[in-house]
Amino acid sequence: MTRPGFEDRSLLLHAALDGELDAAGVIEMERLLAADPDLSAEYARLKALRETIRAKAPRERAPDSLRLRMMEIAETKQAPPREAKTPRWRDPPSWRSFAGAMAATVVATLGLQHLIASSNAPDTALQAIVSAHMRSQISGQPVDVVSTDRHTVKPWLAGKLPVAAEVVDLAEAGFPLAGGRIDIVSGAGVPTLVYKRRDHLISVTELRAERAEEATVPRHLAVGGYPVVRWSDNERAYVAVSDLSPTDLDAFVAAFRRAVAKERVGGGGGESAK
Amino acid sequence: MVSETGRRNFAEHVLPHLDDAYSLARWLCGDATDAEDVVQDACVRALKALEGGAPVERPRAWLLAIVRNAAYSWLGKNRPRAIVLAGGAEEAEARADALETGGSPSPEAALIEMADRATVAAAIDGLPLAFRETLVMREINGLSYRDISEATGAPIGTVMSRLARARALLAQKLGTAP
Repeated sequence: MTRPGFEDRSLLLHAALDGELDAAGVIEMERLLAADPDLSAEYARLKALRETIRAKAPRERAPDSLRLRMMEIAETKQAPPREAKTPRWRDPPSWRSFAGAMAATVVATLGLQHLIASSNAPDTALQAIVSAHMRSQISGQPVDVVSTDRHTVKPWLAGKLPVAAEVVDLAEAGFPLAGGRIDIVSGAGVPTLVYKRRDHLISVTELRAERAEEATVPRHLAVGGYPVVRWSDNERAYVAVSDLSPTDLDAFVAAFRRAVAKERVGGGGGESAK
Repeated sequence: MVSETGRRNFAEHVLPHLDDAYSLARWLCGDATDAEDVVQDACVRALKALEGGAPVERPRAWLLAIVRNAAYSWLGKNRPRAIVLAGGAEEAEARADALETGGSPSPEAALIEMADRATVAAAIDGLPLAFRETLVMREINGLSYRDISEATGAPIGTVMSRLARARALLAQKLGTAP
């Protein structure tokens, strides 16, 4: 194997595997592979090696605690404290009672509900939603009410919030309901539904849309490293957050919108969502 | 005090690549807790650079270069031998016997595919530092040759030969397991 040019050809093989060859290089490589069984066996080994590494030593997710600390690095020193998220992160044990207090406040300030999401910049709201999603993952308590049944979750939310939230069943689409919780966004309680996909959780928060917003196509954003999709239908705006792959998250958003639309048309009578 | 610009750039250029930063740090330090410290240190450095208004064209390669530097400082303090081993002599030696691997029996693709997680991890861990970082950046972070070259400061030709060498060593280890 010491014939001249061996090392160059070997490097070419790696470059081909790594998609680093231009069109001319690819053609040359294909010619070489077809002509040389040793070389094509080597190529097969390299491909097997790549598959093995990808499957057995995948890229790892940074721990959420680290992600949180990094978000804090950039945020805590900022002047105005936003939302109530800092105390919530710092002091998880008291969070539930805190949330309870906030929910009570929300009920007491019924009249202000129409202001939700209109007074603050939208990115502040998004950050609060993403923080709530992250917090829920770290605490191991993603939901306040645990139920796969939307007929349990909906009344629970309705009893705590002045606005009726749409709760749809997406089990058939592969996203079973895990439950619901109340997040605090722009100083007010908003309903958040939590759905599951394998080990991943998806939080969908419903906001009052600003003005009579027309239905908008889902917009993809990244907040704090999390993929976020925001869209609105009728007079409601929705924000979905998850660490699912973008494709799965899109599938979720599509299934959710279809189910909500169906619910509206059916006047709330429809049982299942496709 | 963190300025609004610094904060925004940090959210835009650093936070989306935390998983990459963490994965690289893990493979360089070999330990999850140490990797967190290294990433945190790297993020602080990154934020400082962004505050200073450093223009960032290729954020991922840029961040991984910082993570790599942070990891090297950490290794220098905690595992000085790992750094010494990564010197030029080792590479020359590895290059020399790269030409000889052709003589030993070729590992089978099928055998490589059967390796389990622990074996793969041990094989990657066993690579000399310069090869390991190049392999991890390519296969696990998915960086292009150009990005790896930028992140490691090595010319593209060196990146290519390190990568080829790293793969040859891995294939050898995984393909001829007991």
